[in-house]
Amino acid sequence: MKKIIVFVSIIALVLSFASCGSKSSGFDTSKNISVTAREDGSGTKSAYMELIGLKGKADPANVVIQTGTAAVLAEVKNNPSAIAYESLGYITDDVKSVSVNGVAANADNIKNGTYKLSRPLSVVYKDSNVKSGLNKAFLAFLGSKDAQSIISDNKYVSIYDTAPEYTIDSTLSGSIDVSGSTSLQPLMIKLAAEYEKLQPNVKVTVSGGGSGTGYKNAENGTSAFGMISAVFDKTNAPSCVSYTVAKDGIAVIVNKQNTISNITVDQLKAIYNKDAGKDAITTWSQLIK
Amino acid sequence: MNKAYSFIRARESFMKAIFIFCAVFSVFALLSICAFLFISAFPFFAKTGVFQFLFGTKWDITSATPSYGILPMIIASLYVTALSTVIGVTIGLLTAVSLYKFCNKKIVNNIKQLINLLAGIPSVIYGLFGLIIVVPFLRDNVSSNGVGYGILAASIVLSIMILPTVVSVSYDALCAVPSSYFEGSLALGATNEQAVFKVMVPAAKSGILAGVVLAIGRAIGETMAVIMVIGGSPVMPKGIFQSVRTLTANIAMGATELTGEAVNALIATGVVLFVFTLILNISFSLLKNRGEEKNAKRKT
Repeated sequence: MKKIIVFVSIIALVLSFASCGSKSSGFDTSKNISVTAREDGSGTKSAYMELIGLKGKADPANVVIQTGTAAVLAEVKNNPSAIAYESLGYITDDVKSVSVNGVAANADNIKNGTYKLSRPLSVVYKDSNVKSGLNKAFLAFLGSKDAQSIISDNKYVSIYDTAPEYTIDSTLSGSIDVSGSTSLQPLMIKLAAEYEKLQPNVKVTVSGGGSGTGYKNAENGTSAFGMISAVFDKTNAPSCVSYTVAKDGIAVIVNKQNTISNITVDQLKAIYNKDAGKDAITTWSQLIK
Repeated sequence: MNKAYSFIRARESFMKAIFIFCAVFSVFALLSICAFLFISAFPFFAKTGVFQFLFGTKWDITSATPSYGILPMIIASLYVTALSTVIGVTIGLLTAVSLYKFCNKKIVNNIKQLINLLAGIPSVIYGLFGLIIVVPFLRDNVSSNGVGYGILAASIVLSIMILPTVVSVSYDALCAVPSSYFEGSLALGATNEQAVFKVMVPAAKSGILAGVVLAIGRAIGETMAVIMVIGGSPVMPKGIFQSVRTLTANIAMGATELTGEAVNALIATGVVLFVFTLILNISFSLLKNRGEEKNAKRKT
């Protein structure tokens, strides 16, 4: 008798674990949207929230926070009702990328500016500063083939297809100061490291502070180059011009079972806005008619 | 004095210094961590206000006017710890009892070793297990609102993690009870079950309680496994299937990315957590001492 009870309970245990594996097919639109976000302080998060018009806002109450790109992708892959955002370069085939305002998220649409969740990452500088010498050479490097390969290797969108090779000038020495946007900063640090490798006598200092700092330091001459992560606004730095180093794009991703193919920026805002109130979108049936 | 003797003296005092250094090292580490926590948190507490910090319900650090309130996280931590302790201690205590009296003696050691193996599994593996098995299972089969993350998922994972602590401490406590208690109660006509549950377990009470406190300490301090299954939304817990955030998760989620005042807020969260674990550890040693005194009394 005892043995039978033990045997039956073991079978029951095994069966209950096995049932975890079975998945129903077909997408259930009555499910609540599982809103997935990155942790506070993530560059992707602040860029995304800014692009959908929720700059500096906290997440909605029901948010599930995933720390890191891999965790976001794993969650969307496993959770049929999840929605998330991630840098375009990291999107894999395990998840489905949704068009935004009818435009597919890909490098071409980011280059031609039709994809909405994208922004230019630029340097601003005084033209007179960059007429000759070290600064001119560095700007040439930013537009070179060498720089473009670093840009695409780091999952940013390179916007120059036919970039010239950088020509090393062994007479160059000195230091270059770059400061500003923390969105461009990680890429700029990589570019600066490569430049220091090509020109061993040159030191490039990259510091953060935000786009505002980038404008200010370029305008008052503190830094040779200021970094900004938005379209150049002349009123912020009247004596400066800008040069777009690269663009970054953020894709909206859902589970592969999900039947949605297009979403608008306004709908994203209604999903991610904690103060949306009665306009909030909480279930998939509000998006998939 | 000859040369050889003074050399030995010098060597001896050198080794003595090394031993003292080693002995002091851990004390020094503890003190420096305390100093780091309290010194870095003090300006933050002074600015935000301890009351505001502990009882504020809004955690919003990205806005222009940030607010730092960790009450939702404190509550979530307490819920998760309580629920995981209830599940873990129930299973763990019954396991210890069964190993002690009811299990086939040939496999007792094997089972004990397997349970102790649980203690050696890295917490990130528990997190993965929770993320890939427990959360989807709860989401698809148990949860009413389609959310798998939350207090229940974290509690299930944590209860497995605290099992080895509960089982081994309770087992040792049961073994420390003189066997004459058991034999005596059988002689008085008690059944096996009555003897164990009415005599042995109550006699081992303080030892078992010490194990429970140790398990609570582990549950409240666990970070990696919890962060992967808790969801992470800093809101007041309203149910067991809801994305919430514990104190440990709050620190770990921001520690690598945040700067400025927000980091101080995380350190202050660390102070709160530190105080919690300190209280637990002190009560553990008190309980342990009481248990040892009792056992010493029994033997005389």
